[in-house]
Amino acid sequence: MTPKYLLKRLGQAILTFFVTMTVSFLLYQAMPGGPTEAMRSVILSQSGGSVDIDRLNRMIQLYTNVNPDQPMHVQYFNYASDVILRQDLGTSFFKNEEVTTLIMQRIPWSMFISVYALALGYSLSIFLGVMTAYREKSRFDSTVSSLIIGLNSIPYYIVGVVLIYFLAIQNNYFPTGGRIGSGIAAGYNPEFMLSLVQHAALPAISMGALATSGALAMRGNAIRVLGEDYIRVAQLRGLRETRIATQYLGHNSILPMYTQFMIGIAGVFSSAVIVEEVFAYPGMGLLMFEAVKTQDYPLLMGTLLVFTAISLTAIFIADLTYTLIDPRISVGE
Amino acid sequence: MRTSNQNDSDPDQDVVFEVRDLEVTFGTNRGESRVVRNVDFDIYRNETLGMVGESGSGKSMTSSALMNAVVSPGETSGEVTYYPPDGGEPISVLDLDEEELRKFRWGEVAMVFQGAMSSFNPVKKVRGHFRETLEDHNRDVEAGLERAHQILGDLYLDPDRVLDSYPYELSGGMKQRALVALALILEPEVLVMDEPTAALDLLMQRSIVSLLKELKEEYELTIIFITHDLPLLTKLADRLVVMYAFDIVEVGSTEEILYDAAHPYTRSLLNATPDLNAPIEEMQSISGSKPDPVTNIPGCSYRPRCPMADESCAEAEPPMADRGDGHRTACFYHDDVSDEIPIPAMEAAEKGGESE
Amino acid sequence: MSEAHSDSFDLKDLYDEDIDPDPESRADRTKRFLEMNVVAPARIAVADWRALVGGAILAFFLLMGTVGVWLVERPTSGDAPVLAAPFESLAYPLGTDVFGQPIHAQLIHATPGMFKMIFAGAVVSVGFAALVGVVAGFEHGTRIDSILMTITDVVITIPGLPLIIVITAIFQPENPYIVGVFLGIDNWPGLARTVRSQVLSIREESYVEASEIMGIPLSSILRRDILSQLMPYVMINGALTSRRIIFESVGLYFLGILPFTTFNWGVMMNLAYEGNALTRPDMLPWMVAPMVCIFLLSFGLVLLSQGLDSLFNVRLRARHAKTSKKGTSKNNQSQATGGD
Repeated sequence: MTPKYLLKRLGQAILTFFVTMTVSFLLYQAMPGGPTEAMRSVILSQSGGSVDIDRLNRMIQLYTNVNPDQPMHVQYFNYASDVILRQDLGTSFFKNEEVTTLIMQRIPWSMFISVYALALGYSLSIFLGVMTAYREKSRFDSTVSSLIIGLNSIPYYIVGVVLIYFLAIQNNYFPTGGRIGSGIAAGYNPEFMLSLVQHAALPAISMGALATSGALAMRGNAIRVLGEDYIRVAQLRGLRETRIATQYLGHNSILPMYTQFMIGIAGVFSSAVIVEEVFAYPGMGLLMFEAVKTQDYPLLMGTLLVFTAISLTAIFIADLTYTLIDPRISVGE
Repeated sequence: MRTSNQNDSDPDQDVVFEVRDLEVTFGTNRGESRVVRNVDFDIYRNETLGMVGESGSGKSMTSSALMNAVVSPGETSGEVTYYPPDGGEPISVLDLDEEELRKFRWGEVAMVFQGAMSSFNPVKKVRGHFRETLEDHNRDVEAGLERAHQILGDLYLDPDRVLDSYPYELSGGMKQRALVALALILEPEVLVMDEPTAALDLLMQRSIVSLLKELKEEYELTIIFITHDLPLLTKLADRLVVMYAFDIVEVGSTEEILYDAAHPYTRSLLNATPDLNAPIEEMQSISGSKPDPVTNIPGCSYRPRCPMADESCAEAEPPMADRGDGHRTACFYHDDVSDEIPIPAMEAAEKGGESE
Repeated sequence: MSEAHSDSFDLKDLYDEDIDPDPESRADRTKRFLEMNVVAPARIAVADWRALVGGAILAFFLLMGTVGVWLVERPTSGDAPVLAAPFESLAYPLGTDVFGQPIHAQLIHATPGMFKMIFAGAVVSVGFAALVGVVAGFEHGTRIDSILMTITDVVITIPGLPLIIVITAIFQPENPYIVGVFLGIDNWPGLARTVRSQVLSIREESYVEASEIMGIPLSSILRRDILSQLMPYVMINGALTSRRIIFESVGLYFLGILPFTTFNWGVMMNLAYEGNALTRPDMLPWMVAPMVCIFLLSFGLVLLSQGLDSLFNVRLRARHAKTSKKGTSKNNQSQATGGD
């Protein structure tokens, strides 16, 4: 792996974060009627009574790190340095707590279901893609391919709703929502672990449905790879079928998909906003949803920035693994 | 066992492969496509057998059938019998189950074909290819890798460098030789080389060929060499099999075929072959177009392009006529061919300028 | 994505056909344009069942959104009994909701808004993608290219949904066109990259190089080819983008993040879900009906894109087969059919 490639990727991630941060700053400025007007009513309903404009601006500064009094570039500089140097994302209007603190409590839960969803969705798409390619034009292929097309036509949140209906309401296999059963003590006891997994299963599956959108592309790749000489030679060499399927077919079909898989990480993470609300799963997505509902702008911007940061980190880590899976990358780029 | 061979096998020869009534068919939307038709031949132990014919004549399919490795949806039928060394039980290759076939491939018969550039898994080091082959055939991996070192060395490669490289890090010629080494790693009896030199430059071609001769001696191999490069074959092969239109038209020792070819197609092929010794005006191309595997030409398949064809050629398919010394040819007029179709270059070479 | 192009194009044919010294008449030109962009795709669509079914589903919904809204009255509260069961009355074949509004009427009156969103979103994202991709491809290797591609890479990795949620939360768009545009914001980068690489691969074809040497400006060569070769990608991606916009817009209405100013399938789902429709069988049709619509419309779009994809690929292959007849082929397929 060349350091140049890594530096380029790192630079890109940092640039992306800067862009998102700038966008969030500009969005404060672009609020209808300007930030002061837009947030006046929200803040007033919190503090009660009337306040003069200076006091209001100070309060806005306190909550959002943006002081509408100052010239634009000073505002931006202060906002950016708060975010980057102090990891200060402001204070929630409603919960009167640091946005960072609020988000930190929720991150592990969202990560938990997102990582499960990714693992589930991606391994399923790879597996199904390879299997259908292996048996191209068989009944298995046409059945599975049609199922995948069908699944890709259902929004993941509807998958969630359907899962709740059949597995949680009609049958009590899983809880309908929440992240842990009531009255279960936290800790490394089996009861807690089981409850944890049970609550996470349905959200993870419905998010995972989103990640299976690559299965058909994977099938196409695998069909192409099946036509490669090295597959035929591997068969002539009398290698075991499982080895050919995984190390030859699987490995080589993933390569062209890798970027797509990496970019998909951002999509799966952000699907948490809708899925967590459907399952009332108190992760970061639900926090963002609550922020929208209560017009809690600092919290809203904070979750956006953290969502971005997490996605970028995950993509960067995935980028590091790319060299493990494709040796040629060190000469390319 | 050998005595039970059909009467057209030479009883003096130690046969390693016996092929009878071999057929390969593909179902296409235009009808059934028969790409190998009723092919009978034997391969003798420790010989180099050359198979020649234009592309699409069925020679690659025939050699694939030796390992029952015709690509799907091709159907192979007939008999392919493999005789292991030292009088082991004969193996009917087309009747092997999947696991037996897997073990048979590469263990008894290995194949190197023209896609050497892309015969290696691009994401695996060359060492990995050797290792996995040994593992999947339950061989001693350490001893096998020792052997790999030795073979690579015999092929004038730096063993450690090659083994530690990814395929993309090797040149075409290196990959080709590494593939040959990979083919020999399990000490197979038979090595099939399907146009192994097609993608290489002339120099590399000749060096591979001379390496093959050394390898054959050292590892006691039977080599089947498939190409349309007839001059190359004449320097390498003990016997030649000429294929035309999905069937064998002539078999014989290289000498016989070169100097006494008895099938019009073989003679045209010799005339069409560029040879540095032959003046350019003596080169001739074969007129007419290639046969179609879907349509069945009644009678002799070469008839549409044959200058000697007459009505009898359209009525029946010519049987294989024995011309002695294992030289057989499928032509009614095999005795007249040499007069009807002269080979100027060959006659010139043979007679050393006596004739004009 | 694209297959390698054959290099055995016949230059003479190319010039005879396309760079004629006599300009074509306007009528010919129009005819050819129609042939290329309307007749050919339609013929293709009929040939593949997936494209056909997908197209039929799409046409059904289009009818619903145009003719349907004339035939079926706009639902209002109290039109019918509250929570009537489906399949009991012709006045409300799918039943009614808690306000007594017939469900089928709500579904129908939600379609025009849906199509407006899809249209705006698809036009914006596909158009923007094509623009960025073509410009970057043309300016390959220049600063403009690298700037455009950096922007593309940045947008591609920003989590789109949270960004869209923040934007819609702040601006509260009510006009379906505006909603569509917002949803299109994060949809363009993938296609932009595809378009760019397509332009690059056209540039690398040997006949383009030859034409350039012969003094024909690159831009005129590319203009002609880009139109015809990018059409498949644009159409396929248009269908997939539309599906994504349906997913996201319905999702945002379902969450209640977008203001409930019009009928929308997502709004129906939201009201039903909030009313615990999942545990109340009498409310279930209210929840299920819009879900079925979303599924059908997306299914139609996915089928359409799949059908188009395979058809365009077949056409590409057919062209290769025709132009590369003389090339020697080493694969077994051609040996099997004697086609080399």
